[in-house]
Amino acid sequence: MVSTTAEAVYSLFDTFLTLGTIVFFVVLGYMLYHLIKHVRAKEVKGRDVELGELPTSEGFPYRLLISIALSATIVTTLIFSTFSTLAYLETPPADALEIRVTAFQWGWEFTYPNGKTVLGEARVPIDRPIKFYVTSRDVFHKFGVLSLGIGIDAVPGKINTYWTVIRVPGTYEVRCFELCGTGHGVMTGRIVAVTEQEFKAWYEGGG
Amino acid sequence: MAHQGQHLPASSIRRWLTTTDHKDVGILYLVTSLYFLIVGGTLALLFRFQLADPAIKLLNPQQFNQAVSMHGLIMILFVISPLAFALANYVVPLQIGARDLAFPRLNALSYWLYLFGGVLTLISFFQDSAIDAGWTMYAPLTTSRFSPYVGVNTGGLGLALLTASVTVSTVNFVVTIFRSRAQGLTIRRMPLFTFSVLLTVLMMLYAFPPLLAGIILLASDRLLGTVYLSSPEGGSLLWDHVFWFFGHPEVYIVLFPALGAMAEIIQASTRRHLYGRTAVMAAMTIVAVLSFLVWGHHMFNTGISQDIRRVFTITTIAISIPFDAIILSYIYSLAKGKIRVSTPLLFAVGSIGVFIVGGITGVFLGSNALDYILRGTYFVVAHFHYTMVGGGLLGLIAGLYYWYPKMTGRMFDEKLGRIHFVTAIIGYNLLYFPLFLAWQTPRRVPIYQPELLPYHQLATIGGLIFGLSFLIMFWNFLYSLRNGSPAGSNPWDAFTLEWATESPPPPGNFPAIPSFAGGKLAFVSMNGAHSHLAEATHHSIYPFAVSLGAFLSLAGLTVHNALLIPGLIVFALSVVGWARERFIAHEEPFGERWPFEKIDRVKLGWWTFIASEVTLFGVLISAYLFVRSASSSWPAPGEMLDIWHGATNTFILLTSSLTVVLALASARADKRSLTAGFLGATLLLGLAFLFNKYNEWRELFEHGITFSSSLPASTFFLTTGVHGAHVTAGLLALIYLIYRAAKGHYGKDNWEAIEYFGYYWHFVDIVWVFLFPLFYLI
Repeated sequence: MVSTTAEAVYSLFDTFLTLGTIVFFVVLGYMLYHLIKHVRAKEVKGRDVELGELPTSEGFPYRLLISIALSATIVTTLIFSTFSTLAYLETPPADALEIRVTAFQWGWEFTYPNGKTVLGEARVPIDRPIKFYVTSRDVFHKFGVLSLGIGIDAVPGKINTYWTVIRVPGTYEVRCFELCGTGHGVMTGRIVAVTEQEFKAWYEGGG
Repeated sequence: MAHQGQHLPASSIRRWLTTTDHKDVGILYLVTSLYFLIVGGTLALLFRFQLADPAIKLLNPQQFNQAVSMHGLIMILFVISPLAFALANYVVPLQIGARDLAFPRLNALSYWLYLFGGVLTLISFFQDSAIDAGWTMYAPLTTSRFSPYVGVNTGGLGLALLTASVTVSTVNFVVTIFRSRAQGLTIRRMPLFTFSVLLTVLMMLYAFPPLLAGIILLASDRLLGTVYLSSPEGGSLLWDHVFWFFGHPEVYIVLFPALGAMAEIIQASTRRHLYGRTAVMAAMTIVAVLSFLVWGHHMFNTGISQDIRRVFTITTIAISIPFDAIILSYIYSLAKGKIRVSTPLLFAVGSIGVFIVGGITGVFLGSNALDYILRGTYFVVAHFHYTMVGGGLLGLIAGLYYWYPKMTGRMFDEKLGRIHFVTAIIGYNLLYFPLFLAWQTPRRVPIYQPELLPYHQLATIGGLIFGLSFLIMFWNFLYSLRNGSPAGSNPWDAFTLEWATESPPPPGNFPAIPSFAGGKLAFVSMNGAHSHLAEATHHSIYPFAVSLGAFLSLAGLTVHNALLIPGLIVFALSVVGWARERFIAHEEPFGERWPFEKIDRVKLGWWTFIASEVTLFGVLISAYLFVRSASSSWPAPGEMLDIWHGATNTFILLTSSLTVVLALASARADKRSLTAGFLGATLLLGLAFLFNKYNEWRELFEHGITFSSSLPASTFFLTTGVHGAHVTAGLLALIYLIYRAAKGHYGKDNWEAIEYFGYYWHFVDIVWVFLFPLFYLI
């Protein structure tokens, strides 16, 4: 995986997807099996309800109880795996490189601890924790870098944080994921991950 | 029977303008919602064509944003919900053995407010811009600084008319379902469709006032200059809370009637009661309650606290458990008897199949950790179309096919119905499933990564097929209206009450009074009820006229100001005409009314209405507390506001409650002139309140404190202003009561109107009792 957050989020996604797919095929298969069986059936149990007949007290729905117990188990698993991923995502290390991300109509501004400010393209080192402090200058935006497993709202008047460690050098696309006006579709940016030495040269140099 | 002759022929325009018969109103809702389906669908096809290739420049960015925003608003508020209410209007009274809804004129009013709300919303397209900030209308993008369009105001007022429509029909359905059931038809024995509608309106009762409150905040910011949504202390998060407190229950509001319809279809197709029927009713009730406790999952990324996010993760994922119970019960029911295949059944089963996908992917979005990346992507788009279109719309289409024979007396063409089903389900999945695969696309953008192109092209083809498949349905329904084979009263061999009368049912619905008192359906003769029924009226022009007046007045604010004065005149005259019209609604002489046996129809209606008002003020007061707690400083008591003004007004208003009580007591003691005197005293006290308030506001303005000065000023002016508007509305009603009292109208045989007015007046006073300490003393 290209980053720690991508690793955490996408492996959780796979857990959800695996369980979800199994549930889907079991339930749909069960439904179609019985549908076809009971469409073709010549003889069935019980008698037809007559017009105006009220529902009578029914037996206890055991099948339903078992199904609910099963789905409750799955749901509990999913809640706990979410919580463990969250605990990781929400505990940034203390030594992170802190970058302020300011969204505006329509672009991204990145401000570094030494005051260096760039528009549209942020250069960051690999293998080092980076913490983004995300805010907005005007309207609601969402700072999203899907390939790195990053996503957090940019809300005017608030600072939201998200952290990651990028493992693979490369260029990653930043997009806005909250409708923010006519420029929403073109509100893109780039995170360029480079080695520590390249980053230092760029950061301490004029460029 | 006399009342039968009162129906005008179907070709008469006057019949449709004046009808109050629930079946006619149902048809009006149906035709209008299908019209809006075409509008919303056309908007969707427009941007779907553009999305087929980023190189296509069919719409400019502003038009694109309008198309996606209005598509969402129209489909959710003007198509799916009204389509559900078309069915509910037609079917619920029939299912419970009632002759009509509890308030037939209010029912017609709901329809006309909906229609005119829709018209007003559509007019905004022909102004500078329709609503362009998404159906969620996120602040501060919607404030006039970022969206300086008159059309957005027009659209907002259209939505306000819709919320009025919804409130009125909520009151009507709550009272009808609680008070007009046939004898022996207890809540637990009620048909599942009616039960689902009951839960739907109860959710609406608490979900729509927050939407109205949100629209009031937005309109006040845009038109009066208050700073709720443009300030960082209120702004985005305030709107998010208010909107999603409405928005998430709304998802279940559009879904529940469809679930109810599917239950009926499965029962009729298997001729068995639903498996685990009681469990399904319990599960639906749990969902309805939980629906108000999950809104925070829409705000996972906004920076709300960790603990709150964990709670919302649990509630949101856990709400899937009662849904599992509902859907699995439906599936187990299919394994109960021999299944007869029909178009309604195919749509119901198809709807369940795709809804399972929607439900499972909803669990993903309940996970705070996954939501970091999924929020704002096409994963969300695909998910909610699988629930709202799959579960909601397709389920209602199933219901429409199911009840079409009842509404028209004709069968539709079954073969065409099945062709529609096959093309719709193929088109549907071709449209929405690729959106999961193209999930990295941000929502509401015309431009996306080139590698996602094939998925978007597939989706566009699917959209075309899905959209066109509805032409088959329209043709089928129109053709069968004349050429279909006669349906008879019960073509599906179903067992709920609506199938025990002719298709279409005669005015008055049943030849005799249905009763389940003996444990199964029997018709009892109408001795005594007869004369009462013969008087029942079905026609009134006032629901249309009141709505037209409201429409013209609001259009006068944002479309052309020449409309304002005529609009207000039409509105005022038709409200008076309404009050003076002799209109007899028929309530059954006996029936099942638990738990409201002791509360009469109108009183229950007032209480329901006041419940929605409590929610409205609850949200406005919460908004005030929200921005106040987010603000670093706030004026101390007495610093901005003069406590004496508030204290005087508290005293005046409390005294006026006392005079209303005395007026009622006088009327019941048959002291007619004293009644008029106490009502007059109430009016004077009310005017004194408003005069004092006028002076207070004037002094504030003179000190330069206006709507837009600060959050303390904005919240004060808006909250007490909405309260003042309620006082004013009460005084206008009071003038009418005084006029009638002066003519000796109210005495020991006729005092209910004063009692009902009293409820409203006491409520308005109680609100002030909260506002006074909140704004003046702390």
